[in-house]
Amino acid sequence: MPDALSDLPEAAQRRFSQGSFSSGLSVSDFAACLDMGLEPVGLVQGFCAMHWGAFSMSALGRGATPFSGTQGGYVQNYQCPHGMISSDHRSWGQNYQQGWVEDAWRTGFNSAYSRMMEEAQTLGAHGVVGVIDSENPLSDTGVVEFHLRGTAVKLMDAPAPSATPWSTFLAGQRLAKVFEAGYAPVSIITSVASVRVWSYCVTEFLIEGTGGMWSNTTGAAEIHQIVDAQNQVRDLARTRVRSSLHGDALLGAHLEVSAREFSKGDLEFQSRLSGNRVRRFKDFEPLAVPRPSVRLS
Amino acid sequence: MSTPASTPRPSLRDEVRRALSEPLTTVDAAQSMTSDLSIDEELNLHSIGWEPVELVSAVSLHSIPYGYWNWGQGEIEGASSAHATAFLNATTRLLHEAGAAGGHGVVGVHIDRAVHSTFVEVSLVGTAVRPVDRTKRLERSVFASDLSARDFTMLMIAGWEPMGLATGASFVFAPRRTMSSTLQQQSQNVELTNFTEAMYSAREAAMQRMQEMAIDMRGTGVVDVKVHEGPMSFASHAVGFVAIGTVVRLASPTHQMINPTMVVSLNDATVAFDAQTLS
Repeated sequence: MPDALSDLPEAAQRRFSQGSFSSGLSVSDFAACLDMGLEPVGLVQGFCAMHWGAFSMSALGRGATPFSGTQGGYVQNYQCPHGMISSDHRSWGQNYQQGWVEDAWRTGFNSAYSRMMEEAQTLGAHGVVGVIDSENPLSDTGVVEFHLRGTAVKLMDAPAPSATPWSTFLAGQRLAKVFEAGYAPVSIITSVASVRVWSYCVTEFLIEGTGGMWSNTTGAAEIHQIVDAQNQVRDLARTRVRSSLHGDALLGAHLEVSAREFSKGDLEFQSRLSGNRVRRFKDFEPLAVPRPSVRLS
Repeated sequence: MSTPASTPRPSLRDEVRRALSEPLTTVDAAQSMTSDLSIDEELNLHSIGWEPVELVSAVSLHSIPYGYWNWGQGEIEGASSAHATAFLNATTRLLHEAGAAGGHGVVGVHIDRAVHSTFVEVSLVGTAVRPVDRTKRLERSVFASDLSARDFTMLMIAGWEPMGLATGASFVFAPRRTMSSTLQQQSQNVELTNFTEAMYSAREAAMQRMQEMAIDMRGTGVVDVKVHEGPMSFASHAVGFVAIGTVVRLASPTHQMINPTMVVSLNDATVAFDAQTLS
């Protein structure tokens, strides 16, 4: 049951004690769960509405010299090769990791996740299967709602759980195959990385396809600053996920990257990597080579 | 898939109970593995003695100077070479990452590419794989393939091996018609040979480049070729043709016949519920 620090609404506690279960599983996933000896005990959810008040420094934050206070994260500077000093000519550029955006995202996601898991613990569940997560803007005032939901399950005829429940995005037959392959679910893992790009003259010329009087120094070339940002934002998310695996495996990973432009030459790349952390509990059994078949209909 | 008949297989319930009752002991952090493969794909890989190692990704953007798309004749070389360089750079980075992670190749590479008026963007994401037997040395360069893990498995079973990703791209001007032929054809249903010829020209150049890449990799062919073609919204008189596929070669002395088993479903056809029959 939740402790004194629990923020589980009293109405939810009452609902959970009424003796019937709810589930987000499809009928086939429900049947597969029962086959595995996992009994659904409730649809559990967690919410967190985050106000995105301090998303980033605006373009006004661009001073005369590159920004240096990036909380020790990734930062890379780019210097104009033209020796030109003009308000129209971007004499320096910078890529930097927006640690405060990542922290805010992590706070929102982790709060929603721990609230969902708290509901599962209240139900005495051993784990949560079929987790679905979403983030949606609640309004145009910079409020983002994190919502996680899944189906809490109990292992049939097993003692009450003594540890934090495990969680997985998988359910049904896909989860059954994970067990059969020798993996036990540990938790879902999601990580976000954010890299801001303040482009310098060369990036600007290459993106716009112009060089003006400087075209002889730019020409056609790889757009290094954007490439660095794009590769870094993926790498940061992957490195963070890897560091939280502690020797376990990440299955069914999904990496997505989004970009947005705040103003000319001011971009943000955000990557998000999620997957299922699993731990091997037995060695792979030798598998026969698959036998191809053709279905005749 | 089946297991050897001599070993009695525990029931699924027993396996689940065992999995969930094992204490979560500390494991060697160096053993971490990341993969975007499904569990089915991982099992497929294991069946031929391979395993995933690491999720790898790479990006490249290459610029195309302004004005290349508007007027001209023949191939738009700046655009074609920008595409080739962006693809090459992204692939090189991907292979470098895979090699650093101990992979012998990358399978299931998702290719996102976009051609803009002033730059080409290529993004690759895939899972580095290696033989389960760690004593097996990498005897050739690391490969990348957009074949799924399942297709990679079937390819290996058939005695073939992937050599790498090959691509060919060509962007060609469709010459503008003369004023008199434009006026003449305005009310006619006729073939616009300038566009047809431009498409042929782009196709031949792109296919030739992909084939040259395949030969450079010592491959005997390219499988699962995807073709992207057509006009571009920002260039009214240019067409593009891009071909991407996985280069393969025969690894065993002869092709291994896989002889698929025929399966006939004995299920009755499903009777679908139709709400309209209630009225």
